Amino acid sequence: MANTIATTASSSVSSTKKRTFKQALSSEAYIKWVYLTPLLIFLAAFMLYPTFYCLVMSFTDYVLKGAPEFAGLQNYRDLLHDTAFWQALFRTAYILVVCISMELILGMTFALLLNRNFTGQNIVRGLCFLPLLISPLAMSLMWNYMLHVQFGIINQFLDWMGLGRYEWFSNQRYAIFTIMFISIWQWTPFSIFILLAGLRGMPKDQFEAASVDGAKPFFIFRKLTLPMLKPLIIIIILLRTMWLIRIFDPLYGTTRGGMGTEVLDWMVYRVSFVFFDIGRGSAMAMFSLYMTIIVCAIMYRQLIKAMDSGN
Amino acid sequence: MKRVLFYLMIAIMLFGFIFPIAWVYVTSFKAPDDIFKPDKLLFEPTLYNYHYITNVRPSFKELFNSLIVSVVSTAIVIFVALPAAYSFARFKTGAGHLLFVTISTRMFPGVVAALPFFFAFRELGLLDTHLGLILLYVYFNMSFATFLLYGFFREIPQELEYAARVDGYSQLDVLRKIVFPLIKPGVAITTAFCLIWSWNEFFFAFLFTGKVARTVSVGLSTFWGSVEIQWGPMAALMGIAILPTLFAAWFMQRYIIRGLTFGAVKG
Repeated sequence: MANTIATTASSSVSSTKKRTFKQALSSEAYIKWVYLTPLLIFLAAFMLYPTFYCLVMSFTDYVLKGAPEFAGLQNYRDLLHDTAFWQALFRTAYILVVCISMELILGMTFALLLNRNFTGQNIVRGLCFLPLLISPLAMSLMWNYMLHVQFGIINQFLDWMGLGRYEWFSNQRYAIFTIMFISIWQWTPFSIFILLAGLRGMPKDQFEAASVDGAKPFFIFRKLTLPMLKPLIIIIILLRTMWLIRIFDPLYGTTRGGMGTEVLDWMVYRVSFVFFDIGRGSAMAMFSLYMTIIVCAIMYRQLIKAMDSGN
Repeated sequence: MKRVLFYLMIAIMLFGFIFPIAWVYVTSFKAPDDIFKPDKLLFEPTLYNYHYITNVRPSFKELFNSLIVSVVSTAIVIFVALPAAYSFARFKTGAGHLLFVTISTRMFPGVVAALPFFFAFRELGLLDTHLGLILLYVYFNMSFATFLLYGFFREIPQELEYAARVDGYSQLDVLRKIVFPLIKPGVAITTAFCLIWSWNEFFFAFLFTGKVARTVSVGLSTFWGSVEIQWGPMAALMGIAILPTLFAAWFMQRYIIRGLTFGAVKG
């Protein structure tokens, strides 16, 4: 039905041979590209140019003095042998896996909690959203203060409870977990928000049928709820991966890459903007870019598959 | 019994999320000595820190810079992303590949963009200017805004537009009278996200601004001096900086509810 309406509408424009300029302009073939023009300009300027520039730079040994000299694949070869780089890479992957899993688990738990109707529910839901609104850097600085060994309030609580004080940032064993904690604290509300929207949008009849048939709550959760939420979960994983690969703010506000917390983006920043080894930095940046695109492309595919099968 | 457990879990969750933020405000009212004494629960509140960021180290220029950069960049992003998202949603332009390319700008590590832009801006004299940062934030937010708006446009059934065309509406009228009211909540949400992210962004602001165009995020980091960290004034400025994002979030929430009910009534 909709198709016949569409063809009627568009054929009424294109069937006459002598079209006016205005009619030609509003034909579908032109319009869709006209709408896209500003974005295309943006893409060319802001995406093609930096990528190309970085790619070219990664083949040089530019160190901000003199002119860049072509150095072939030297930077990439050095990268393969650079243990610090691979350590940073694995650290980033480790953070990715732990943070996203925790955010999904906690987010799902809290979303299920918040899905119930209770007094003050709107206020509570609004308040839970708060950590997302704070600048990550600002909050990291605050965490730096709160988790400080001597005058941090968290350590004070632990002290009062008899658990002693801990060096959350200056100890190599704890530092990376502290960074993960800060990130999880800030971004769990994101998962909650999306999962809660998903939970609220689910059709009730299947759940009623299942509980009438005597299915246990956990079984319902596994077989009904989770599959329906699959597209949203993949969206969360995709977006959080894109953001966590370039984690930077919490590091600047706390350990500044020390104490075994050097991650990918921090290393690239250090090499490029502190040591000005542009060639090497560009190679690292290109490498992480390729990696990110591959990982995200895989996830994007999964997302499209999940969305199509769901609808 | 189950209800008690439920409310207890809600309370713990709320406490976990709210306490650190509340602590920011608590700290901002502490005198410099008290900041280093966490065991002193009953302290006398003082406005010393707020006085500090007003008189000793004026901070309102940074707030103003953040405001300008966020608002202008968000306006540009919406202006470009809106028609593009409509094109993607309605006509499937570029068969999904172009959309993926747009979204992939978000996948870039910050440095990939920062390096070439740094050199380009240095040549063009755009370092430490409002315009430079605005352009960067347009880059920063564009892909997500397009993605979000694309999702929202997909929610609007195409049958509505076809029906209006059959009724004789021109393309422009269809856009103005049918699509525009329905997309308002989506635009509100996208605008709020872009504003909040621009306001809180640190990496690009840190690399690309100096004294003139410094934003609040960078300003907050400067309290971390080489000799000491001034926690008190930092907490005070942070407390103030949080308020505009709260306002943006509150505005977004109100607008969504209004927009959704209007759409339902008009059908």
